[in-house]
Amino acid sequence: MATVTVRDVVKKYGELKVIHGINLSIAEGSFVVLLGPSGCGKSTLLRMIAGLEPISEGDVLIGDRVVNDVHPKDRNIAMVFQNYALYAHMTVRENMSFALDLRKAPKDEIERKIAWAASILNLEPYLDRYPKQLSGGQRQRVAMGRAIVRNPEVFLFDEPLSNLDAKLRVQMRTEIKELHQRLKTTTIYVTHDQIEAMTMADKIVIMRNGYIEQAGSPLEVYDNPDNLFVAEFIGSPSMNLIEGRVEGGRFVSKGGTAIALPAGCKAGEGQAVVLGIRPEHTHPDPAGALEARVGVVEPTGPETHIYFELDGRDICAVTRERTGVKPGDPIRLRLDADRIHLFDQASGKAIR
Amino acid sequence: MTQGTAVIATGRAGVTRMPRWLTSEHPFPWLAPLAAMLAVFGLYPLIYAFVLSFQQRNRIKRVDEFVGLKNWIQLVNDDRVWNALSVTLTYAFVAIVIELALGLLIALLLDQDRKGYGLMRALMTLPLVVPPAVTGMMFLLLEDGSFGWLSQNLYMTGLLSPEHPILATGSTALMGVLLADIWQWTPFMVLIMMAGLRSLPKEPYEAAAIDGANAFQTFRRLTLPMLSRVMAVAVLIRGVDLFRIFDYIYVMTSGGPGTATESLSAYAGRIFMTGNFPYAATLSLMTMIVVIIIANLFVRLFKVRF
Repeated sequence: MATVTVRDVVKKYGELKVIHGINLSIAEGSFVVLLGPSGCGKSTLLRMIAGLEPISEGDVLIGDRVVNDVHPKDRNIAMVFQNYALYAHMTVRENMSFALDLRKAPKDEIERKIAWAASILNLEPYLDRYPKQLSGGQRQRVAMGRAIVRNPEVFLFDEPLSNLDAKLRVQMRTEIKELHQRLKTTTIYVTHDQIEAMTMADKIVIMRNGYIEQAGSPLEVYDNPDNLFVAEFIGSPSMNLIEGRVEGGRFVSKGGTAIALPAGCKAGEGQAVVLGIRPEHTHPDPAGALEARVGVVEPTGPETHIYFELDGRDICAVTRERTGVKPGDPIRLRLDADRIHLFDQASGKAIR
Repeated sequence: MTQGTAVIATGRAGVTRMPRWLTSEHPFPWLAPLAAMLAVFGLYPLIYAFVLSFQQRNRIKRVDEFVGLKNWIQLVNDDRVWNALSVTLTYAFVAIVIELALGLLIALLLDQDRKGYGLMRALMTLPLVVPPAVTGMMFLLLEDGSFGWLSQNLYMTGLLSPEHPILATGSTALMGVLLADIWQWTPFMVLIMMAGLRSLPKEPYEAAAIDGANAFQTFRRLTLPMLSRVMAVAVLIRGVDLFRIFDYIYVMTSGGPGTATESLSAYAGRIFMTGNFPYAATLSLMTMIVVIIIANLFVRLFKVRF
């Protein structure tokens, strides 16, 4: 186990700068998820920590050691790749023992570790099979087995679940989290799936275009997004956003809908803002102040997503009630005033 | 329907079509041209050679007469055939080993995206476009006993002495011919190995780097096994080719000194020149049979799949 520190790290491909001076410190034993849309630099950052990409500027430290020029094999890390990167010509057993073999570990220790990893990952029946004889989920587990037998200081996961089907993904998600709780190894996990990030992380680092947009615990970033990007990116269905300005202590949308703001709101009079409210804080309520017309109704089972139009924007409400509303119905809505977020329209920054 | 078309009318009026086996849905029209070519240029000569191998020229009547297995029995009892077989096997084995090893080494060195490597890869293929007979002449000059550049340098290092010129000495002549083969055909191996290296997935190498493998371990435990199938195919193609070796030998030594460099094809060629076509045909058929047997053994042994 070790801390990982990223100090002013920059990555350039020729003239093109893809990572713009990132700072990040990862506590010992924590599970950190790098989250962002494709092309945001999260995988590049992970690969720089792994030593698979040279660092253009800045430092990466594992523990107290600057590892910029340390070969990946000497960083004492293990990595699970998106497409597993198994050695196709080796059996599951050989795949897992490869690193230990190279280290010239004693035979009985190798045997013991493989038996241990196989039992944790339910791979015992498959030890003598080749990767091509395994299913996607089993291959994924072999890749993880290969990582854990090494007993590394840091685990790196590069979108490990994106090649699995939805059901298996949920199952592996739990397994990875369980594994982390058991081994307590510092873990850095890259994904573009915000549900994976929310469910697994101790700390989420949201990236965009080579910058960190916000870092914090899952509920922190969910409840208090620093900016519009984070607000929209985290949460599904995503946060409702309505453009307008502050007038007389109230929010007035472009279409003229007025919404009362919570007391102590820091937005200045006349400021152009974006009001954000999560779907689960938007309630169909006959006594509500807002009026709209139902567009689409999506029942998911436990909850129903009701989409309606407000000032030309699609707004979503999530309810656990069986409301029985139909497309075209007029509907009244109530917003939880204390869950309203305001963002400056120009900068996109949260107004708190 | 216009007159003069060769369409065949069927049942319903107004609907015309070709017989089904002549339409594009049927494999026959697609296979026919190639099948015809193979029959004319492949099958016919083969059958002709086979028939010929059971005949002998009657010099008085000037016709070929059926003599049963006489040629085949003569072949088995011909010491020169066994010598030729051993020369061919030695030649093929040495050439394969050296060309494969050199080819892999050069491919590994050239498989980089640095400046100038593209040009080097292109230059590498140059020997392949030289006609083998020209290559043979080139090496004949290089290895010439009195003024050959290579010979003179070897004399200076003391590895050879002027009393024993490379191509005129029984023990070194085959190696002299092999040099030409290796020079010309190593680039072929380089090309195949390079294509193989390029097709290898990148991720296992990254995994191995993290797993702690150094360059040599990565080569031995990843590259070699992953490349083995490509290597087997290359060896097979080259091996079959080497078994018919004729051109360099014909140009450089004509099988000599004595029969030191006489391969099966060279021997068959010599007999052909003397006009004994049936025996030459028998020899060629034997070469083919040996190639088929060895190639099949190889395919089974190394589980080659195309």
